[in-house]
Amino acid sequence: MTLVIDQVTKRYQDFTAVDQLSFTIKKGEIFGLIGQNGAGKTTTFRMILDLQETTEGDITWNEQPMNKVNRDILGYLPEERGIFPTMAVEEQLYFFGILRGWTKKDLKKEVDYWIKRFDLEDKRKAKAETLSKGNQQKVQLIASFIHQPEFLILDEPFSGLDPVNRQLLMNAILFLKEKGTTILFSSHQMDNVEELCDHLCVLKKGASLFTGSLLDLKEQYGKIKLSIRSELEESQLNALPGVKRVKKTKDGYTLLLENELYGEQLFQILGKGKYMEKFSMDYLSLDEIFKDLVGGEHV
Amino acid sequence: MSKFWLLATQLYKQKIRSKSFIFSTLLYVAIVSGIMFWSDIKAAIFSEEPLKIAMVNDTKQDFKEVFQSDDDVKFSFPTEDQATIEKQIKAEKLDAAVFLTEKDGRLNAEIVTYTPLEFNDQTKLSSMIQYAGKIYAVQQLHLTTKQAAQIIESQTPIHMKNLDMQKQDGKSEDEKAAGIGASILVGSIVYSIVISFLSIITTDVASEKGSRVLEVLLASVKPSTHFLAKITGTYLLAFSQVALLLVVQILLLLTVDDGSKWKKVAGVIENLSVSYVVYTLAYLILSIFLFLIVGALFGSLVSKVEEAGQTMMPVMFMGIAGFYVLMSGLYSPDTLLVKIFSFIPFTTVMVMPLRIGATDLSPTEPLIALIILIATVVVLFYVSLSFYKRSVLTYSSGGIIQKIKTVLKVTT
Repeated sequence: MTLVIDQVTKRYQDFTAVDQLSFTIKKGEIFGLIGQNGAGKTTTFRMILDLQETTEGDITWNEQPMNKVNRDILGYLPEERGIFPTMAVEEQLYFFGILRGWTKKDLKKEVDYWIKRFDLEDKRKAKAETLSKGNQQKVQLIASFIHQPEFLILDEPFSGLDPVNRQLLMNAILFLKEKGTTILFSSHQMDNVEELCDHLCVLKKGASLFTGSLLDLKEQYGKIKLSIRSELEESQLNALPGVKRVKKTKDGYTLLLENELYGEQLFQILGKGKYMEKFSMDYLSLDEIFKDLVGGEHV
Repeated sequence: MSKFWLLATQLYKQKIRSKSFIFSTLLYVAIVSGIMFWSDIKAAIFSEEPLKIAMVNDTKQDFKEVFQSDDDVKFSFPTEDQATIEKQIKAEKLDAAVFLTEKDGRLNAEIVTYTPLEFNDQTKLSSMIQYAGKIYAVQQLHLTTKQAAQIIESQTPIHMKNLDMQKQDGKSEDEKAAGIGASILVGSIVYSIVISFLSIITTDVASEKGSRVLEVLLASVKPSTHFLAKITGTYLLAFSQVALLLVVQILLLLTVDDGSKWKKVAGVIENLSVSYVVYTLAYLILSIFLFLIVGALFGSLVSKVEEAGQTMMPVMFMGIAGFYVLMSGLYSPDTLLVKIFSFIPFTTVMVMPLRIGATDLSPTEPLIALIILIATVVVLFYVSLSFYKRSVLTYSSGGIIQKIKTVLKVTT
């Protein structure tokens, strides 16, 4: 089971929201769609869900066009909170489950399980509007997958969650993956993307800057982040061969290299054959790569 | 349960359990019952003493047959002089006195009060005095009793004959009165439905859109299913309210005062023609549909529920306009204004039943209005549905025209 997005473009009268976008998500994979605000993530989700038509290109699920796909296999968590404000938590979960073709009897086990897992037991009968933002997010998240969808789309699932609840949510996403759910999600928090994603697509103004595995992306940049502890001044480090930029940190310096091949040479220069407390060559973090790709700074 | 019925019943259950709906329904039923049974309520709560009116007759004619006492007025015929009577009025032993005298061969009356009479009482007394005046005038001609009765009781029977074959079924006065009465009822029901249920559907769609739950729903159901479910749910809600209102009224009519009012209502219904009932029901069903379609569309245009009230004002004004034209037509149902509004789809249901019931119009006119209404509902349904699909996920600010422009801009 795969989702294939093939040369998809969404054009409005005076601007292009998504431009020639292509990627594939395999069954049971977690795929991250990252990009700045207005990069075209939500438009892409809406086209996948057949809420908006594509201007050009095709989107298929198991080689079937999306408008022919049974919608009950889909789950969707929109970026902004989408629950009935005056409906009780439990009632809400049953409603969305029944809407996706489940019976109340079959849903009971699922509803009880997820309410307990997300620590919402005492909020069962509470109206959604009376819950905290984090709890509303948890209810909405459960509502999006209470029917065990084959394909789940999560638009910014971590926004508004504290670190404890974020971890709770991460574990839930990994749990769904283990059960075979294919997940496509977007997030501004790159550490979450890095931890969860197998593959990703980086969007800028509707166009893809990179599509592939996270490791491929990192390898594309190479191990160009050098962390050292040194007695040299910042200006001296800047003058070393292959060094693009130097940043002082609490614990020494981080150097951005033009190429990871300079590593060996710098090891020789800085260590002079002696013991060095710290010399570490790393890949850039996704956050740093993202900033670089979309035009910001890194390191 | 299908997705359509799940959404329709979800709206229905949610609204019918809401305190505001229960309260407004009870208030509505109470107000309508209050108006229908006002005379009984008034009699039960304000058990007033009958008016005491002294008739001081200075003519040779006996008017005791004309001024007969009833529950509201008690007439006395004292022989004291005017000053004594006026003292009694000042002392509030009498509410009024009527001094009947003769002047130039005609009856002359002077009504003396301390506290002015209420409008209804004054009208009733005046009409009795007018009647007495006629009798007096006839008596002055020295006719026999039979001749006098012939003049006073005479009423010219009027038969309508229309040479236009299509308009031969002229309505009797009773039928026209029944038509006007039923039209007021239909007009009032439609007016209240338009105001309350237009608001319900518009705010419901707007609130789902504003809370973004609509995006989740539309990921699972087609916009057309959602659109139809909203209209159906609200329709059921309106139907429930009207049904409750009718059941309560029928029960009250059957039980209050041993069902005497029910007989009057049954009389009115008997006088209604079959075509009146069929057309009115058809207009009613289609018009509610028409207003709900527009309500759902307008709800989908706004970005948040706070903007819903402002957006539905134009449609509400159509309802209000129809109601005012109906009211203006109660006394003159043949005016050009009434004719024009009876063909406008948004006001047909309020105005055309009045014309069918109270005027002798060609049978093709109600049919043309019905065809226009059906065509408008069909066209508006498809236009709204097409627009709804595009507007439910478009968020914009500004007035209604700006919102429509934005929807067209980002979806074409």
